[in-house]
Amino acid sequence: MVVTLALLGILGSSACSTARTATRDTLVLAYGTEPTLLDGARTADVSSSRVGAQIFETLVRHEPGGLGLEPGLARSWRPSDDAATWTFALQHDVRFHDGTAFDAAAVCANFDRWYHSTGVLQTAPLSPSWRRTFEGFAQKDVSDVPEASLFRSCEATAPDEAVVRLAKPLPLLPTALTGWGFSIASPDALVRYEADKVDAGPPPKFQGTFGTEHPVGTGPFRFESWVRGDRLVLVRNDDYWGDKAKLRRLIFRAIADGATRRQALEAGEIDQFEPVDPADAAALEAGGAQILERRAMNVAFLGFNQAIEPFSNPKVRQAIAHAINRQAVVDAKFPKGTLLARQLQPPEVWGGADDVATYGYDPELARRLLAESGVADPTIEFWYPTNIAVPDNPDPQGTFEAYKADLERIGFTVVAHPAPSQPDYSQGVAAGKAGMFFGARYGDDDPDYFFGPAFRQRPLSFGFDDPELFALVSRARYEPDHDRRVQLYQDINRRLMATLPAVPLVHVRPQLVVAAGVKGYVPGPIGPSESLAGVTVES
Amino acid sequence: MRARLARVARRLGGNRAALAGGVIVGLFVVVAVLAPLLAPHSPITGDLGPIRPGVVPGPSAHHPLGLDLQGRDLLSRVVYGARYSLLIGVASVALGVALGVVVGALAGGLGGWVDSVLMRAMDAMLAIPGLIVAIGLVTLLGPSVLSVTVAIGTGGMPLVARLMRGAIVSQRPREYVAAARALGASRARVIVHHLLPNSLSPVLVAASLAVGGAILEAAGLSFLGLGVGDPSLPEWGRMLADSPRALQSSPHVVLFPGLALVLTVLGFNLLGDGLREALDARLVDPLRLGPPKA
Repeated sequence: MVVTLALLGILGSSACSTARTATRDTLVLAYGTEPTLLDGARTADVSSSRVGAQIFETLVRHEPGGLGLEPGLARSWRPSDDAATWTFALQHDVRFHDGTAFDAAAVCANFDRWYHSTGVLQTAPLSPSWRRTFEGFAQKDVSDVPEASLFRSCEATAPDEAVVRLAKPLPLLPTALTGWGFSIASPDALVRYEADKVDAGPPPKFQGTFGTEHPVGTGPFRFESWVRGDRLVLVRNDDYWGDKAKLRRLIFRAIADGATRRQALEAGEIDQFEPVDPADAAALEAGGAQILERRAMNVAFLGFNQAIEPFSNPKVRQAIAHAINRQAVVDAKFPKGTLLARQLQPPEVWGGADDVATYGYDPELARRLLAESGVADPTIEFWYPTNIAVPDNPDPQGTFEAYKADLERIGFTVVAHPAPSQPDYSQGVAAGKAGMFFGARYGDDDPDYFFGPAFRQRPLSFGFDDPELFALVSRARYEPDHDRRVQLYQDINRRLMATLPAVPLVHVRPQLVVAAGVKGYVPGPIGPSESLAGVTVES
Repeated sequence: MRARLARVARRLGGNRAALAGGVIVGLFVVVAVLAPLLAPHSPITGDLGPIRPGVVPGPSAHHPLGLDLQGRDLLSRVVYGARYSLLIGVASVALGVALGVVVGALAGGLGGWVDSVLMRAMDAMLAIPGLIVAIGLVTLLGPSVLSVTVAIGTGGMPLVARLMRGAIVSQRPREYVAAARALGASRARVIVHHLLPNSLSPVLVAASLAVGGAILEAAGLSFLGLGVGDPSLPEWGRMLADSPRALQSSPHVVLFPGLALVLTVLGFNLLGDGLREALDARLVDPLRLGPPKA
């Protein structure tokens, strides 16, 4: 590692002195928080998926930078007529980094591993993607999963053909399978390095070494070393089945502080970091760095807990929606290209409706609605997270202050409730303790990502009961006919914007920055899970 | 006593640094009192209109110190901020002195097991950094002006208690104490009427020097998000908390509140230093024949 550093230093200085264009074979990236585990099935954090997406691959993937699906480890896939049985034709001549063969048996071994998760492995943090997609497990070990799973079986019908059978139609399956949570790992390594050997805790602690020292996938880079708190090194997989990586090495450096990351990039110590504080974007670009964008596959919202007064009153919710000047906050705090949200799903995702009720900035109307609501003491508790700046909320406290001023202008009394983002804020909101709160949902190209998790059953954080809505959201999820699904989601959007469980705020395009010499970096559409195989660096 | 006070005042007046400190502190007191008249705009409500990511308008004719990240007039916020800093600084030190004097007087005056128990408790508190004690207390009480004052005052108490006890213990063998006892004065009367007044000067010096520290500590708490509660209140430390977002692109946002903070603390420290010199026992003629010749 010292040698690498020295080499980098030499390369850097020689490039400066001769001022010639030379290509480097190493890309240095920075992450703010350490990956938890390089095992897609067991994690959902951004850092883990960012590193893991170089080591592992999925059956289906997104086309570079786009929402369209393209073959990954599966050459093609086709559903049965009822979309409950899916046949995947697999790539040939693919090997895992440990030399074992990738085939239908390996695919089914992965599905079976996920499906047969037991005990603490079934909890939301340790099976996030599986629970969201397939709901239940082979046997039910934790209280908050359904008795039955959507998943029935995976069968290797030929060495290059796997058939996945489901209990119900699930049209979003191929889209779901692009996720980091469905990374295909070497079954041999999973067993050898005891991927699922876990001490229940709390907190749960993995005792095997698969996710920390031996993550074995099929991707363009192989794991080399990981010194926690310092750096994680990947090297090129020279036996990669597809187009081999142009870089020889990826180094991920741990730099916790945002300002330090920016300085490291400006000093040429790192080549990439994200997210970028919108306030820094112009200065970084002026320094020659490139600001790149992901798609606005998210919605930030202001949520109401209707179990807490006065939010059960629809006129109060409408008054708040009309009282806040969202455009002023977008202009002052968000990057250019941020969209004002009209509904609770991003416009890039199909299923949106054009004729939803909208709530423009109109203090007069807001004042009138508040008066009509008949609420005698319009005091509201407003939660916001501290110690965090995320693309969907780059300045939570500043945004809170702006909306507080807007709301007090029309007659509300706003009580501030700041809470550290982890764990107080997120747990408080999830437990239904927050009256009004900032929330956001990121998802893939299927509306179920935006409505399924919150509105398929009584949502604690929103505190309302609308069985008809919950039934509608479930029906839309399992409806095999795409045109019917579009209509169902349009109905859902209309219904949500009429009942207003939350005010949609913005859809933001998350920004990342790469150094001037980095070429061929195509940001993934959803989150940081793009392959870096095509990237080159000139210094 | 009156003569002594006059002498202290004369010495303070003759000390140029102390005079400068007094002027600075006086100025900020005037600013704090007259804030509604001096502030050209509201310190709480602003207009996000001219604000863009990384762009915050600086000083102009309309806004002499520019705007902050929320589009509020910075001058008005700095002016109103003086109220919080002075209030918290003085009130917390007053609280710390009141508590410390009581504890110190009890320990020094009574001695014995009371002294041991109280002083070991103070030692235990001194072993924990004051800011940590304050953070714990504010977290417990919830952020507000009152809880910040209580937290900082409590944190300052042990030092005052130690000083007070030391001074009283050094006074106890004096003849006037023996005389008072001989005249039949009770223990309580000796402590309250004789020992206490004669032991106050080191405490007064420590208190005047502590105000600056208390103001800084309040700003520190506020910077950590444990300050006066509502984040839109114009407290200097809270305004400094914008620094990570603004220092590079719009330094004026943190420069001016920082400057106000530094000046106020400097003022109190100069004043405190002057007071220390004016009260210093080594400089006071024990026979009370006036100040020693230089």
